[in-house]
Amino acid sequence: MDFPWKRAESELQQEIAHHLQQLTAEFERQGHSHSEAVRLANREFGGGEQTKELCRDERRWAWLTGLRQDIVFGWRMMKRTPVVTGAAVLSLALAIGANTAVVSLMDVILWRDLPLPHPRQLVNVEWRGHGFPRELADGAAGSMYQEDGWSIADFFSYPGYQFMRERLAGKASLAAYGFPNTVSVSFAGAASVAKQRPVSGNFLSTLQVRPALGRLLFDSDDTNAAPPAVVVSHRFWASTLNSSPDVIGRAIIINNKSTTIAGVLEGSFFGLIPGDPTDIYVPFHQAPNVRPKGPPPLTDNRFWGVSLIARRTPGYSQNQMRPETDAAFVASWPAQPKKADKAPHIYLVDGSGGLEFLRSNFRSPLLVLGGLVSLLLMIACSNIANLLLSRAAAREKEVATRIALGCSRMRLARQFLTESAMLAGLGGVASVVVAYVAESLLGQFLVARHGDGIPITASLDLRVAGIILATTMVALLLFGLFPAWRTSQMASAEQLKNAAGRHKWNTGRILTLGQMAMSVVLVMCAVLFTRNLLAIESTDPGFDRRNMILFNLRPGTSGYSADQLETFYFNLERQLLNTPGVSNVALSSTRPMNIGGWWEDLKLPGQVDVKGASLNGVTPTYLSLYSPRLVAGRNFEWADISSSAKVAVISEDLARQWGGLSVLGKTMAFSDGPPGAQTPQYEIIGIAPSMAATSMKERPMVVWLPLDKSSRDVAVVLRTSTPPQFALAAVRKTMAGIDRKLPMVDVITMEEQISKGLQRERMFATICSCFGVLALVLSVVGLYGVIAYNTARRRNEIGIRLALGAIPGDVIAMIVREGMTVAALGLALGMPVIWLGAKYVEKELFKMKPLEPETLLFSVGTLMLAAFVAVLVPALRASSIRPAQTLRQD
Amino acid sequence: MADKKRDIIQGTLDLLILKTVAQGPIHGYGIAQKILVTSKEILQVQQGSLYPALHRLQRKGLLKAEWKESGNGPMAKLYSLTATGKKYFQEEVTEWQRYADAVALVLES
Repeated sequence: MDFPWKRAESELQQEIAHHLQQLTAEFERQGHSHSEAVRLANREFGGGEQTKELCRDERRWAWLTGLRQDIVFGWRMMKRTPVVTGAAVLSLALAIGANTAVVSLMDVILWRDLPLPHPRQLVNVEWRGHGFPRELADGAAGSMYQEDGWSIADFFSYPGYQFMRERLAGKASLAAYGFPNTVSVSFAGAASVAKQRPVSGNFLSTLQVRPALGRLLFDSDDTNAAPPAVVVSHRFWASTLNSSPDVIGRAIIINNKSTTIAGVLEGSFFGLIPGDPTDIYVPFHQAPNVRPKGPPPLTDNRFWGVSLIARRTPGYSQNQMRPETDAAFVASWPAQPKKADKAPHIYLVDGSGGLEFLRSNFRSPLLVLGGLVSLLLMIACSNIANLLLSRAAAREKEVATRIALGCSRMRLARQFLTESAMLAGLGGVASVVVAYVAESLLGQFLVARHGDGIPITASLDLRVAGIILATTMVALLLFGLFPAWRTSQMASAEQLKNAAGRHKWNTGRILTLGQMAMSVVLVMCAVLFTRNLLAIESTDPGFDRRNMILFNLRPGTSGYSADQLETFYFNLERQLLNTPGVSNVALSSTRPMNIGGWWEDLKLPGQVDVKGASLNGVTPTYLSLYSPRLVAGRNFEWADISSSAKVAVISEDLARQWGGLSVLGKTMAFSDGPPGAQTPQYEIIGIAPSMAATSMKERPMVVWLPLDKSSRDVAVVLRTSTPPQFALAAVRKTMAGIDRKLPMVDVITMEEQISKGLQRERMFATICSCFGVLALVLSVVGLYGVIAYNTARRRNEIGIRLALGAIPGDVIAMIVREGMTVAALGLALGMPVIWLGAKYVEKELFKMKPLEPETLLFSVGTLMLAAFVAVLVPALRASSIRPAQTLRQD
Repeated sequence: MADKKRDIIQGTLDLLILKTVAQGPIHGYGIAQKILVTSKEILQVQQGSLYPALHRLQRKGLLKAEWKESGNGPMAKLYSLTATGKKYFQEEVTEWQRYADAVALVLES
């Protein structure tokens, strides 16, 4: 093909040839012989190649030709050392990819606005006070956390909400929502479960979500008289409703109640937070509006169970809104608290990013991860810089030749920069794959932490990838600039000959030092989080976790009436027990080892101090399934369930707190309850061995009560005599025989249930181990490179030393000492970073301090050992130098 | 003779080239020869600066070039002025004249 730069090149050749011809002819005319004339002409013309080079610089296409030449040349240089180049590109790809993944997730969770119109107008309405306002409320559902000595909570009473909404009308639209509940769903004959979030009628219109199909919910839907209607999420529509376009107006059975599908929300709306599990939005008045005891929540201003979000009208600022909302809040209370300074007050939080609690929950782990990946990127970049430096040094002869041939220094510098940019570019392209994998892993990790959510997908943000690639480019160009600058300073071949780098602390070593410092931080994190995980996993839960199967059933919302449930549960246990491979069956109201659950403060009558305990309602077989015998007293009987007996079995550690065996027969009470009414009381009939009930990470005291016979859902716990996977098929068959329309929810083994609760620890350990290994390899390779290179340059010196009688052992010692000094100084440099970083990491640890001597020793030891191997190789090579040979070489 | 030959003062080479080319299409060797002859062998153009200068002027759009048979044989690259080149040349000549007059005034004072 006839490229403009190719044509220009051949024209230049011809033009100069023509000039030489004319000169030769001139000399011939003056009487010289042809050969003499050619010689004279060439002399007269001077350096032809230099002239050509100067002309090239003047050309229009010069930069493009130059770039092409640089790239071709750079590619050739890379091909010459495929392993080194491959390793460099791979390390960059891993580092850039990991950074992209973490920053994308940070973007989604910490920074990005909800995909709604004018997100800045949204405000989370919360209150701030000192502890739970017992004078104002009897019960609550929502979340409360402590910050700077304040309790911040997001729950309000429904009547209170209505009052505030009226007061703010015209200035801000106030909407309420509840926590998503699991419901049984049946659509077109297929049964499944879904998450249903009760919302006020104006919730969706306040957010200004758009429907993809049908309509939103309105206030007219949110009455007792309105025909039941729900709006479903796009995800639910795509998965459970098979994306069918004609769902609008069709019936869906939710908790045994036929409801009309009014609309499907747009796909971009994921909910109030990334990972929001909500499938169905239901008006408050259509949602189950009952509590086990007390008046219905929607009319009870002493039950605080709804959360609020508002959209301000333009021009109505958050500062104006706060006092007005607070006045309405205070006016909505049934009575004023005695201590006014303890009373809760409205606290507004920007709602543009959705619910604040997700952000406050994830800020710390994401920042830790972010810090670690940026360290990794720095290590990778300095490794590349090292590579370029030593490559530049190895190419001194080539550079000298190019300068002699008229290559401008600008052009040389550009060549080096092009090469580092090519490395960054290749790394960047490869990093997309890494980012993709890393992100799905991290997404799962966040779900685990988030508990009930669906995987948070950041959908690989190209913007973020671009920013990180650009950062890497800049870093690499800076790093690449140094070798470029140094090479272009080489004035002549003369200087070259003496240019052996003898400085004790050349750039390569300083870079390696930095790498070591950063690696020790990453390796230490890896060791720390791995030890953390192992420590938790090896904790004895107090029962045999093997051969156990767990699943949930929701008969109370799948067609069984309250008075049928006891018989159903009784028969369920019998039939499952008759299943081959099943040796024991029990039911409980709360799934064991599922983090959270039912907690109460308890006390003995006449005593002041209260004990916090985790509670569970169980069948008589539950305790015997866990441990063969009780410590003292008696177990429950089915009759306790039938008669709703007020009896309890307590764990051994709780009994010890209450004076040991003498506690048997005493009556304990919940410390809290509605004022005036008597708090629930239970007779202690038995003491069972202590065990982990909620998770491996905590060991609360436990109280077991008889299962509530009208409990709408239960967890089924099976102990099997064969490995669970073999027993499971028979169990499924039995369940299908009992009721084909009753779905088994979350069927997993106890070991899986436990490890589900440790997913966060496991992910942290895995991610940090990957980072640690990568950092270790990169910095050891860096160290090896620098020492090997320095040793190669000192061949002469070493040869002379050997010739003068040094024994090889001295040479080895000398080089090893040199290398280990770099490594040790680097490690020392990393210590302050570790010390500073410790407090950020501490939050992520369980029963472990960040700075334990074992962790530190193990990390430093691993690195020093790896460093030793890395310097020993060049040292051994140097000690086998034959003096005569090296001396002859120069 | 060699001693009398002067290298061309920086900045005037372009002007000399433009003047030479203005008299009709001419190749690089011709330009160098003509400058040498016209200046009574005082001004010697180094090849090392001639060709880069030619290429620079071409890139600026002051010169255009085409390949033609020159009088005696092989194809040669013949340079000629573009319209812009002509205008630029006129301006530069005036400017140079003013400059030379000014220098002369100072020297003769």
